[in-house]
Order: sequence, then C-alpha cells, then structure tokens
Amino acid sequence: MSAAIASNWKNWERVLFRIAFFFFISISIPNSVEWYRLVFHIDWTRLHYRDLYDIARFGSGINIFGDRIFGNNLLGYANWIITLLIAVGAGLIWTFIVRRRKTERKEYNTLYYWLRVVVRYRAGIGIIGFGFTKLLPVQMPYPSLGILNTNFGDMTAQKIFWLSVGIVPWYQVFAGVVEVLAGTLLFFRRTTTLGAILLFGALGDIVFVNFAYDGGVHVYSSYFVLLAGFLLVNDLPRIYRLLIQEKVTVPVNVYPSFSAGWLKFTRIGLKTLTIFLFLGVLFYLQLTNFWYDPYKQPAVAGLRTLRGSYAVTEFRLNNRVIPYSPLDTLSWQEVEFEKWSSLSFTVNKPTPLDLSNGGGDPQRDVNRTFEVSGLAGGRRVFHYYADTVDKVLYLEDKYKAIPDRRNRAAGVGGDGGTDKNLKAAGKKAGGDYDGGVEKTGKKNDVNNWIPKTAWAHIGPEVTKIDPRAASARRDREYAEATGKKEKRNRMILKYDTTDGNRVILSGINENKDSVYIVLDRINRNYALTESSLQAGKY
Amino acid sequence: MKFNNKPIIMSPIETITQPSPWKASQKAALRLFFLYFFLQSVPLDWKFYRKVFSTDWAHLHYGAIFELAHYSPAWFSATQGYADWVLLLGIAVVGAAIWGYADRRRERTDEFYDNLYYWIRVIVRYRLAVGMIAYGFIKLFPLQAPFPSLSNLNTNYGDFTRWKLFSMSLGIVPSYESFLGLVEIIGGLLLLYRKSASVGALIILIFLGNVYMSNIAYGGGDAVYSLYLISLALFILSYDIQRLADLLIFQRPAAPNRFSPVLSGKWKRSARLGLKAVFVLFFVVLYGFKTRNGYRHEPYQFPDTRGLDGTAGIYNVEQFRVNKDSLGYSRVDPIRWQDVVFEKWATISIRSNRPVVLDSNNVERLDPAGSERTYELEGSAARHYYSYTADTADKLITLQNKNPHYRGERWVLHYNRPDSSRIILWGIDPARDSVYVVLNRIHKKYLLEEAAHHGRDGGLKL
Repeated sequence: MSAAIASNWKNWERVLFRIAFFFFISISIPNSVEWYRLVFHIDWTRLHYRDLYDIARFGSGINIFGDRIFGNNLLGYANWIITLLIAVGAGLIWTFIVRRRKTERKEYNTLYYWLRVVVRYRAGIGIIGFGFTKLLPVQMPYPSLGILNTNFGDMTAQKIFWLSVGIVPWYQVFAGVVEVLAGTLLFFRRTTTLGAILLFGALGDIVFVNFAYDGGVHVYSSYFVLLAGFLLVNDLPRIYRLLIQEKVTVPVNVYPSFSAGWLKFTRIGLKTLTIFLFLGVLFYLQLTNFWYDPYKQPAVAGLRTLRGSYAVTEFRLNNRVIPYSPLDTLSWQEVEFEKWSSLSFTVNKPTPLDLSNGGGDPQRDVNRTFEVSGLAGGRRVFHYYADTVDKVLYLEDKYKAIPDRRNRAAGVGGDGGTDKNLKAAGKKAGGDYDGGVEKTGKKNDVNNWIPKTAWAHIGPEVTKIDPRAASARRDREYAEATGKKEKRNRMILKYDTTDGNRVILSGINENKDSVYIVLDRINRNYALTESSLQAGKY
Repeated sequence: MKFNNKPIIMSPIETITQPSPWKASQKAALRLFFLYFFLQSVPLDWKFYRKVFSTDWAHLHYGAIFELAHYSPAWFSATQGYADWVLLLGIAVVGAAIWGYADRRRERTDEFYDNLYYWIRVIVRYRLAVGMIAYGFIKLFPLQAPFPSLSNLNTNYGDFTRWKLFSMSLGIVPSYESFLGLVEIIGGLLLLYRKSASVGALIILIFLGNVYMSNIAYGGGDAVYSLYLISLALFILSYDIQRLADLLIFQRPAAPNRFSPVLSGKWKRSARLGLKAVFVLFFVVLYGFKTRNGYRHEPYQFPDTRGLDGTAGIYNVEQFRVNKDSLGYSRVDPIRWQDVVFEKWATISIRSNRPVVLDSNNVERLDPAGSERTYELEGSAARHYYSYTADTADKLITLQNKNPHYRGERWVLHYNRPDSSRIILWGIDPARDSVYVVLNRIHKKYLLEEAAHHGRDGGLKL
C-alpha cells in the first residue's frame, strides 16, 4: 500500500500539485522591491527588533498586474485570486509540456517535500516575528492616561479590541507563547502537524477578530490560516481514517536523504541559523524593545514632576477668562501628562480623527500615535520637547492629516493605516523613508520652529533612551527627519510648578492665541488595575 | 544541487499487534479515574436536586437549563473550588483501593475493563457536551455579552474592571460572539459520537485553554469551572492520544480503536437510541429554541421594565441646586452631577465625582427578576445606577440605588418635561436636602458607531 502512495500519484493529484506548487511558492516569497532594499540595508552590528521583524513580514503573491480585480481589491484578497489564476495557468502549461514531451513523472514526492519545507519555514518565521511582539507584550500597549479618561463609546472597535488585550499583559504573553510555539513546531518534521493545528486554530480566531473589530490585519492573518491549511493536507485524511473510520493507518512520509556529508552539514547549519536568528536574537532584541523602547509608546521619559491628571481650574484665552462648562468649545477640559513625553487634553469641539491602528515602525516619538489613534471625545495629544532650563515645552500635534506610511515592506495586508495613507505613499513609490511629508513653507521645518538656544537645552531626542536600545535604524530615521517639512499644529508653552500639584501653562497655542492655564492635580483611583508587567523605562 | 535519488520512506509497514492486554497498573489507574470522574460528572450534590425541584418545568426558562448544565460538585461553598477536587480525589483513591482489594481474587476479564473505560468515557463525554452547549447557545444568540448600555458607552475606560471590559469588548461584536458560541456547540456535538469524540475534545481543549487563561487574566469567575471542563476534555482525549502520537509525531503505523460496546438485546439498543434522542431534544433542540426566543424577547443581562417614554439618552446637567445653593459645573465636586443617562429600560445613571464601591460580581446569573439585573453596573465606577418606578399621574419617580453596597439609598423626585430634550427634577435627596436639577439632552455621536458605519478609510471629524 505504501509503495502505491509513494510512487504513483493519481492524475488529478499531479495537476493539482503543479498548481499548488506555483501558488504556494509565489505567496511564500517577498514581492516588493522595498523588502529587498530594507533587508539589504540592515546593519547587522546594530540591530533593531524591527529589522528581523521586517524580514519575517513581507507582502507576497504575484502583483505585477496590480492588486485589484476590475478595480476592486476584494477586501485585500484580490492578490490571492490573481496569484491563483496565474498558478492555474502555469500548472496547466506545465502539465501540457510534460505530457507533450512524454516526460511526465509518476509522483512529486521530493518536490512536495521541498514545497512543504518552504511553506513550513515561511509560516514559522512569519508567525514567530508576529508572536514575539506579544510574547514581550508591546503589540497591545496598556492604555495611556489619556485613554483611561476617554469614554468607552468614543473609541473605534479596533481600538477597543487592542486595548482589551493591552490591559492584561500576562495574557498577551500567553498569546505570544502560543504563536511562537506554533511557529517553532513548524521547524521540525515530527511536530509540523501539531504546529499547523495550533496555527490554524489561533490564527483562524484572529481572522474572525479582525473582521469583527475591523482590525485591518485580516489578510495577513488569513495568510497563516491558508499556509497552516496546506500543511494539514498531509495528515488530515489519515486522522480521519484512524479515528472516524477506525482503520489501521500507516503514515508514509517521503523525506529526501541528507546523509551525504555536505548536505547534512548545510541542513543543520541553515536550520541552526534560522533558530538562532528568529528565536535567539529576535528574543533579545524584542526584550530590549520591551524594556527601553516599546514601539507603540513614545520612548522618551516625560517630565517627572508633571506626570498625572489635572483639572483645569482656570483657562484664559487672549487674557479672557473662560469659565468651565462641559459644553464650551474653547477651553481645555481634561489634562494628562503621560509618563512619556506627551501632553493630552480634551476640547469639546469636533476635530479630524486619526483612524489608523497607530502601529507600525516609527522611531520618532512624535510619530508614535497609538495614544491618539481611534479615539474621539475631543481628545488631542501633543508630543513635547522640554527645555528644562527655561521651563518651556515645545509641543507638536500627534495628529497628521496624512500619517506617515508604516510597515513599508508588508504590502497588502500590512496594517499600513488608512487608504489615504497608502495612496499618499504610493505617489512616492521610490521608497522615501518618510512618505507623506508636505513641503510647504520654511516655518514647517521639523526643527526650525524651536530656537537654537532651546535646542541646546533640550538635546537630541535620538539618544534620550537607554543606550542598550540604540540601533542603526533609530539613528537613520532621526537623521533623515532633519530638515524635513511637516505641517503640524504647534504650541510653545512655559510651565511653572513647584511640586506638580499646581501647574501653570502659559504661551501661544496652535491658533496663535495666547493662553494661560491653571491646572490642579487630581489623584484618580481607577477601577482598572494595572499589571505588574509594564513596558518601557520612564 | 543533486540529492540522493533514493528517498527514505519512514514508517515501514509492520503488522500492528493486537492491543496488549490490560496491565495491573493500568487496571488500578482506571479504577481510580473511573471513580474520580464519576464523582465529578454525575450529579450527586444535593444542591443540584434542589435546583431541579425548584425549576418551573411548566414554564421552562433557558436560564434554568443553563443553571442545571453548569453543575459541578461543590461541598465547601456555593461554587466549586480546588478543595473539592482534592476531596473527590481522596474519595476516589480510597474507593479504588477498596475496590482493588475486593477484586484481588476475582479475575476480571479485559473485556470488563474495556467496558468500564467505555462507559465512564460516555458519562464524561455527555457531561462535557452539556457544559459546552450550555455556554455555546448563549453566545450563538449573543446574550452573554450584550452590546454595552448607553451608560457604559459614557463611562471612561479606566473606570471599568478588567472583567467588565472583557465582556463589553465582546459585546460590541455580536458576530464574533456567535462564532465563539458556534465553536463551543460544534465541539459539544462532536462529543456525542464515539468516533468524533476526540476531535471534539481537541477543539474544546484549544478553546477552553483560552477561556481559562482569560478568566485568570481578566479576573473572571469561571476559572475553576473552565479548568474542570478542561480536565474532562483531557480525559476524553487521552483515550486516543497514543494512536495520534504514533500517527503524527512518531510517524509509525497507528492502531485504531477496536472496542465497541455490545448491546445485546433489542431493548438495550432502543434504550441507547432513546436516551440519546432525549438528550439531543432537550439540550440542543429545546435549549437552542429557548435561547433563540430569549435573545429575541427576554435577554437576561439588562432589566426588562420599560423606562419613561422618550427619555432614553444622555443629558447634560445644566443646573444643580442643593437647598438654595446653585453649584456650578465641576469635575471634582462629589455632589454636583456631571451628566445623567436615561436608559431605554427603567434605569438612570448619574456621573459625578462621588466614589463608587464596585459591585464586583463576575459570574453568570441568568435567573434574577427583570428589575434586579445588575450587569449594567457590575465592575463599573464613576456612575451611580438607579432603577426607578414612575408615577406618571403625579409625575413622581422613585429612584433606588441598584448597587448592593448602597441598598438603602432612595430618592423620590418630581419630574417635569417642558419639551422633549429637557427634564427637570426636584425633591428631597437621601440626606434630606432639597435638590433641583435641570437636564438638557446632548445629541452625541459615538465613534464606535460612526466608525462601524463609515469605516476607517475615509476621514471622520468628531
């Protein structure tokens, strides 16, 4: 019986295999020039976790004909269908040629083995890259003070789901362990099916989550379900035969011989390298990220005396006192200084919203927008540079009409943010590292609006995190930002406080009006209790 | 690259020997597990029968079926704790020792143990199936986690406990909740057939593993119960674990199950079929039907008494007078109200800076009368919740604080509605002060709903 299975495939099996071969190879290799550029530019002496993450996470599938069918991207799945159609064509041509030349093989055992190897490693590395951001819980951050003081109804569903994991870091660790474990099991022949079952179950759930919560990562999570499904094709019929039909079942798996010295050496070497890189090095880099530079939170510590929530006791606009009313549309109502370099407040006036996931890979704190994305309720969040000598805060709005492009290598299915964002980036397909930057006016220069003397007091932001978290990627992104033009709301406010119980802010707001704001600290007791596991060092 | 042309074929065919006879140690283990799982699965706890007899069978409510299905023996308190496991294990150890001693001279055949294993597995399978299906249907018809109330939407994120946030986060996506329920039901149904039982148990294990971790992480009330169900699933799966490991991991020939019970006599076969049919009719068909009707007509988390017509909404507190003092807007004053929500049902909630001692219930309660349902305030601070009765003739409403920590707090207030967007309340508060409050409706748009409606691709201004 085994001989029959091993050496003689049915006709349809051979045709199906040829199609599957093209299809799964196509969706297992990167399809964008950007990915190769990124990987080529990696500085292996000063790595950032995102370098390895980018290797693991790429767009795939055949996209030379675009990612749309009749102008519709079919929720992002159009690429799969295009790839499948081409694979069907290629598989049929292959069949035609081998039959014409009468060179058709009886089986593809060895090629099937190698196809499974490619898919196993693609899925394994991909899910490990994804899983480590949960295993060291940074993918879903704990809510900022601003978020804690935002109504539940003033958030997008996506935000609510991300936060619901963010509030339980240990659970996030568990989810990460499951994903990393599933990926690791795929590296070994004997545990591949177990890993595939786990991957199928875990990611199947995540696909549904993404559809239900409009999470935006449905295509990428479906991708793993598809790969896991392919890996299960081998054993599912056998499980059926053994358990349901209750027949003796003999698993016949054909493995090429690696007994020749150099083959054995190459195999063990490559495997060890993969495991070392994606389980060892990536773990270390991710741990560094968790400790010193959680990628969705600003990394630079905020002013210690200011941190906390404040009630607005007095608000003067152009020297006119505006009495507090929840209906007033001018005054600040609810003020928080985060433990990192952000000031957050609410104004009861409609404002354009950042509806992206607030994720991605920005290095500069001003571009890390998880604390503002997906929130309404009149909340504004400003990043600040603090001149602690002259006691002045230089504030920049975190909201940008066209956010910077994120996850550049991820392509379709990456949570690159809104369509707006992707389109804007598409215009600059040359691969500008800071896509979506407006070029208007000298005053918008990211650095020039702050006087040189103040800069001397503030110092470079790039080195304000723990030196252990320094990386080539961080340096590069800060260097590239110098001289860039950005249109943002900006404020320059003096702060005056003795112990942080009363803070007086005065200066020029984003509308060039003068403001004078008296803040009194509120000690809030939240029903939500914070975990012992906290990301970042502030 | 050239590889050795000759592939290695693993797992050469061998004849699989007949299943080996029961070893003495295996017999002893089976006696122990038989007793332990029998005690855990068969309702022997008298509290169960008190529930059975107090159930109104003429007007059977899905909540009553759920309660019966949620059985697990608890001797030390109302719900099961790990101490109960230890007790049952102790009894099983003693029982198994006595049993082994009594059987020492008697030669039990292998068939006896095969049968014993089969029947305890049947009991555990059905017990687990009931548990899964009971929870499955109240998710399939999204009752367990309802869409958050208006008050909940207008409460800050930090003012909820983790467990409440978990429930509300599920409540905003009924389709996902239904999907989870469907997985539970499918897992449960697969347990009803011997051949698919292990597949069902595997699905349930993955599912419940997550449920258990969630209960631990979010502070849910079902940690012990979910681990109890996990132990049942593990017991079921263990029957096939060796052959699955042979097939998938060791990649060698795997022997199937060869035992099937011999039900001699027609009546035995009919009885089996009959019992199975009754089970499916009661726990799947009837219960499924009841939960569906429940979802349509009587969801159990929110009160079912209607509120005052046309009042549902959130209101700004435009004026607030205590005795003769008019209190201005304040976010810090513990007395001054900030906003008021009138629900569609007879609940109002008041946001102020007056502290709330949390109602921290975290277990499912399907039975309370319509007006006593407290889901809306469980795990929620910043607002005080009141059920109310309205006397529409005299224009009086009586507020009763719903939180068990404020049981005695009652307000009797006059109300007047000059127009559809204003409500004026006045009367005596519990501290015997006179209050006068003017409420003005806020026409608020919620990002949660706007984003669901417009998507996130375009811009939104809120």
